Amino acid sequence: MNTVSYAMELPGANVANPALSSRPSVGKLSIRDASIIYDPEGVHVVAVENCSLEIPAGEFCVIVGPPECGKTTLLNAIAGFRDLTFGEIYLDDQLLCSADKTTPPGADRIVVFRDGALFPWDTVLDNVIYGPVVQGKMKKKEAREAGEELLSRMGLVGISRSYPGEISCGMRRRAEIARAMMNDPKVLLLDEPFRAMDALTRTVIQKYLLDVYDASNKTVFFITHDLEEAIFLGTKVVVYTARPGKVKKLIQVDIPRPRDFRVLSSERYQDLKEEVIEAVRDEARKAIEADERKRA
Amino acid sequence: MSAPGRRTTRGLAIKIQESVFSKETYRGSATVIVLLILWETAAQLGLPVIKNIPPLTSVLDAFREVIFDSSYWGSWGASFHRIFTGFIVAQIIGIPLGLLMGTSRFFREMTLPVFEVLRPIPPLAWVPAAAIFWPTREMSIIFVTFLGAFFVLILNIVSGARAIDSRYIRAATSMGSRRKDIFWRIVLPATLPSIIVGMTVGIGLAWNTVVAAEMIASRSGLGFMTWRSYVTFTYPLIVVGMISIGIAGYISSGIIRLLGHHITPWLRTN
Repeated sequence: MNTVSYAMELPGANVANPALSSRPSVGKLSIRDASIIYDPEGVHVVAVENCSLEIPAGEFCVIVGPPECGKTTLLNAIAGFRDLTFGEIYLDDQLLCSADKTTPPGADRIVVFRDGALFPWDTVLDNVIYGPVVQGKMKKKEAREAGEELLSRMGLVGISRSYPGEISCGMRRRAEIARAMMNDPKVLLLDEPFRAMDALTRTVIQKYLLDVYDASNKTVFFITHDLEEAIFLGTKVVVYTARPGKVKKLIQVDIPRPRDFRVLSSERYQDLKEEVIEAVRDEARKAIEADERKRA
Repeated sequence: MSAPGRRTTRGLAIKIQESVFSKETYRGSATVIVLLILWETAAQLGLPVIKNIPPLTSVLDAFREVIFDSSYWGSWGASFHRIFTGFIVAQIIGIPLGLLMGTSRFFREMTLPVFEVLRPIPPLAWVPAAAIFWPTREMSIIFVTFLGAFFVLILNIVSGARAIDSRYIRAATSMGSRRKDIFWRIVLPATLPSIIVGMTVGIGLAWNTVVAAEMIASRSGLGFMTWRSYVTFTYPLIVVGMISIGIAGYISSGIIRLLGHHITPWLRTN
């Protein structure tokens, strides 16, 4: 399959309702009773406990929860950076990880990291085309053209020869999303990617992410602590408990796509926001208390 | 594009012109000129202590004579030859070794103890041993120069390689990198700044070492020339020697700096 097909308008992709897209759905994540326990300096830490979650193919699933509740650990397990202690994770009904097996990190689950991981020593374009070039999937020239196309879809024009250090934070993050998408992953994993951004830039970048999602219909696993962002972006919001993390509540966000900032003032959005705040508030308090106890 | 880009010849010419006639150059030159004036004035006035230093005018006279003397330039050649050889060999051995020590825990644990015991030994203390070990005097001086540059290079590379953020490795692994891709596209570029630092400090240490080694153990080179001036009571030539060494060092560091600038383009932003 052409790595770049999603970058153009997909034949049959119905932007208004991606569920009607004729593109085959891949990227179904099935997390069953996953537990991650680790032992840094002999202190038995249960990061994730009996977490079960079904993410259908093509869903934009957002995880919210208090800090240090195991969300990133779970993401790392899906990505292959960490082992599961108990339970299983399936990708498209194939075993991805279990207590005995960890599929090594690969281009089918690409991560966009919290503080950005664009390679500072490569130009933006070289960063974006890294995956296909290194895997030998595309020749350099072909990859460059495809990369430029993808960058322009993200609203990044004229920076392909710049270095990450020379462009703004918002541009960097978009470039990183472009780099991830260039690999045509089955699942896009984002770990609080917009955390370091100011609110205004964030709204712009969120819109770009939504555009990418609408056009490509990838499964997205998105972690954030920003409740508004969660409801604005997600199809499903998963509220996570304080450590040890498990699923506390699932909230379906039935606001139709494509979404834009006008959604934020709708009644449905406000109702959902209340629901999420209610669920999270308790957990946030518990997390803070636990932290204070630990330090006391 | 209206602003000169970094890749056009005209752009490069403009950049050189800008850097030569910049505020930086004026400020630096101003200080040098002021110091020279103070030096000459102090010598003329016969101030205590300073009056023992040859005055600027006699140093300039000595310079004028020596510039036409081929043995003076021969000294430059001899010193540069040692620096060049010792330094280059230090890079050829040191960079791969440093990268290996920085990336492989096993290898580092095996080599670091030996390394850390040898490192504090001043290169000059090696001169007698080197003189015995190496077949020629010249080789022993080059060896000692090599040592000066070698240890500091390894130190910098190891610390640079170990400090590579694991996010980059993870991102690269996710995108299907094999081990050699991780090395050539992540580890090496990420460590380049540390290599450049190691080279910059190393060239300075190499000069320190070569000058001193020449004074002890050689009959050629700028260091020897300076020492001989002292021994033969031609004092203005001592200053000539010292200034020559300073200029030679400045040129060497400038070359390294230019090289560093060229191979780490992403660090040019400020």
